[in-house]
Amino acid sequence: MRKKLRGASLVMPDRMYLFVVPALLLFLVFWVYPVLQMFFYSVTNFNGIDYNYDFVGIKNFRRILEDGSLVNATKNTLIYTVVNVLCTNVLGLVLALLLNLSIKAKGLFRTICYIPALFSAIVVGFIWSYVYMPGSGMISSVMDTIGLDGSSFNLIGNFKWALYGIIIVDIWKNVGTTMIIYLAGLQTIDESLVEAGKIDGASEWELIRKIKLPLISATITINVVLSIIGGLKAFDYAFIMTNGGPGKSTQTLMFVIFQTAFNNQMMGKASAYSVVSFVLIIAITIGMLIFMNKREVEL
Amino acid sequence: MKKKMISLLLACSMLGTLITGCGSAEPATSDGGAATQQTTETAKADTPDNASSDEQITLTMMFSGVATEGDFETEVLPKLVKEKFPNIDLEVTKLPDDQYYTALKTKLASGECPDIILVQPKYAGSNSVIELAKAGYLLDVSDLEFLDKAGDAAKEAFSYDGKVYGVAQGVSILGTYYNKKMFEDNNLTVPKTWDEFLNCCEVLKNAGIQPIVMGDKDAYVMQFGLYQIAANEIYPQNGNYDDQLRTGETHFTDEGTWDKVLSMYGELYEKGYVIDSSLGLGAAQSIQMFVDGEAAMTFDGSFNASALCAAGAVDFERGYFPLPAVNGDTYASMAPGGGPAVYSGTKHPDEVKAILNYWFDGESPVYQAFASTGNVLITYGYGADQNDPMYDEFMSLYNQGKAWYWCNQAWPAGTENEMEALFGSMIGGQGTTVPDITNGMQNKLEELLDQ
Repeated sequence: MRKKLRGASLVMPDRMYLFVVPALLLFLVFWVYPVLQMFFYSVTNFNGIDYNYDFVGIKNFRRILEDGSLVNATKNTLIYTVVNVLCTNVLGLVLALLLNLSIKAKGLFRTICYIPALFSAIVVGFIWSYVYMPGSGMISSVMDTIGLDGSSFNLIGNFKWALYGIIIVDIWKNVGTTMIIYLAGLQTIDESLVEAGKIDGASEWELIRKIKLPLISATITINVVLSIIGGLKAFDYAFIMTNGGPGKSTQTLMFVIFQTAFNNQMMGKASAYSVVSFVLIIAITIGMLIFMNKREVEL
Repeated sequence: MKKKMISLLLACSMLGTLITGCGSAEPATSDGGAATQQTTETAKADTPDNASSDEQITLTMMFSGVATEGDFETEVLPKLVKEKFPNIDLEVTKLPDDQYYTALKTKLASGECPDIILVQPKYAGSNSVIELAKAGYLLDVSDLEFLDKAGDAAKEAFSYDGKVYGVAQGVSILGTYYNKKMFEDNNLTVPKTWDEFLNCCEVLKNAGIQPIVMGDKDAYVMQFGLYQIAANEIYPQNGNYDDQLRTGETHFTDEGTWDKVLSMYGELYEKGYVIDSSLGLGAAQSIQMFVDGEAAMTFDGSFNASALCAAGAVDFERGYFPLPAVNGDTYASMAPGGGPAVYSGTKHPDEVKAILNYWFDGESPVYQAFASTGNVLITYGYGADQNDPMYDEFMSLYNQGKAWYWCNQAWPAGTENEMEALFGSMIGGQGTTVPDITNGMQNKLEELLDQ
């Protein structure tokens, strides 16, 4: 009797742990094990087909550092992330604030903003490659009609701007989702607080800055973290629209991993990239979470 | 309350019909499934090695590509095989390229590979015949009856260690499509030397016509021009150049090899013969521009012929020529196409070989259907005389033995990506020079060979 009492929890009796086993097994087999394997492969020269591979120590890591591909891909990924986070959130927030006002056809506008999110990345990338097409694409045609030289427009073929070209597409696609989350956040704000602010003579900007933003700080955290993760794993548009090019100017980390693993058949080297990105993404995400949580409290 | 009861009843009756519906259908499907399973089981048990068995067997085949209506591999082939071998069910899956590579790798690793798979010649792609044969995944098919008909080039491209491991499906060409009307309007003929070719471009450019359009945003198209030049300038001097790259006897950096090829091709960009915005154009977009008569030439393969010959904004006749050599002694860039190979773990090696013998014998209904797809150029048997006359010049070069495979087929996969990326940087004005590209290629090659 005494024994039973000591070990037992009313909420979670021992035998209940059995019910966790199936989920835990799936998680271990399909998630934890492959991740551990990745760490293992990163020190081998496994090519993805032949299981007679050798250990090569840190050679893979040295190589990706020496040939500059890691630096290039990391740089591109970070630019992608920063621009993506800033633009998606600022635009999403502005849209949400606007569409939270009592204007006509609010529902329609909200739907329109959300439509791009409904298409798959492949479709979006394909359509946008025609928007950007030099000479006869949508943008150059519009430039031609308003008297600018449309034939000179070649965003995706430009080494400096191609990366920003594909970021714009990502932003266009994701701003709707971000907006919806902000809208949900804004609607939790107690109207009486806003009214109280108005009575105290706060301007519209002050209402946003001092009342609305602090109250939706949790929403901001979610959105920022989501877009950071989205940016760090950027792959779709680099793959569909530019294939990493021109040259290597739009190669992101995920793109390099894919290319190394599946085009070059260097699973070992690709795992080394993965390990580095794994560490990088986790570090950035944790850093951001800590920072944002602190801010949340301060606000 | 009453309403609630009614809806509950309704829900119950719906559930009832649903269950009975399932009930009646279920036994049939499960029976069917059990039956097929049983037959395959017995087939396995009774005839472990016996070739001519009357037992019903199912063979599987996996190819890459997208199945279209009336597709040869997924629809026609299984039907015709069934007609000839009533006891064999051939199940064919077709997957888009990238998915195919992934699926193939997984299936090979788990030992559940289909009996027939698509492999690429030499070292080309993730499913290259040599890599797969080296890993022991392929069955030696040197004893197939039709191999001699297919010719030495085809046999050689699918050999490893003196044994044949795959079957070439016709041959594919890399060449230069041109707008015959534009050439005639400017009194131009098909160039016979590199200088004549440059002259053609110059004349067209001066006439206000964009000489060449390329979709370099899809960087792989750079290979279309480069390999034609390499076939003229590298391999005639040293036919073993690529094999020697692997042994270290030759290097990409050797003078008069790739430096020459890259500077010749780069010249076309430097002089504005290739459209300026090529890095922003996709492959399909550049084909469209050629078809719409916005440029006089484009480098592309015979595999894209239908897209390049489709009706566009203007009507004109297309021609096709191999890029001429500097000295006028031109070679064609033609590769035996990827084709079927047999998985070494297949339970029915003899049946699979029988199917391949039937498929490629040069006259069977399967061969005729295969030849009629028009996806590849037929080199023997039915349909060999019906290739588009556009290809005549290439075919005559091929028959004279004046054709070389595509360079990347002999390189470890990934070398060409480095070449494309660096060449893109050069034509994009990033300060990359020809030696930078050859050095980059050599480093990449050494790294890949080191694996």
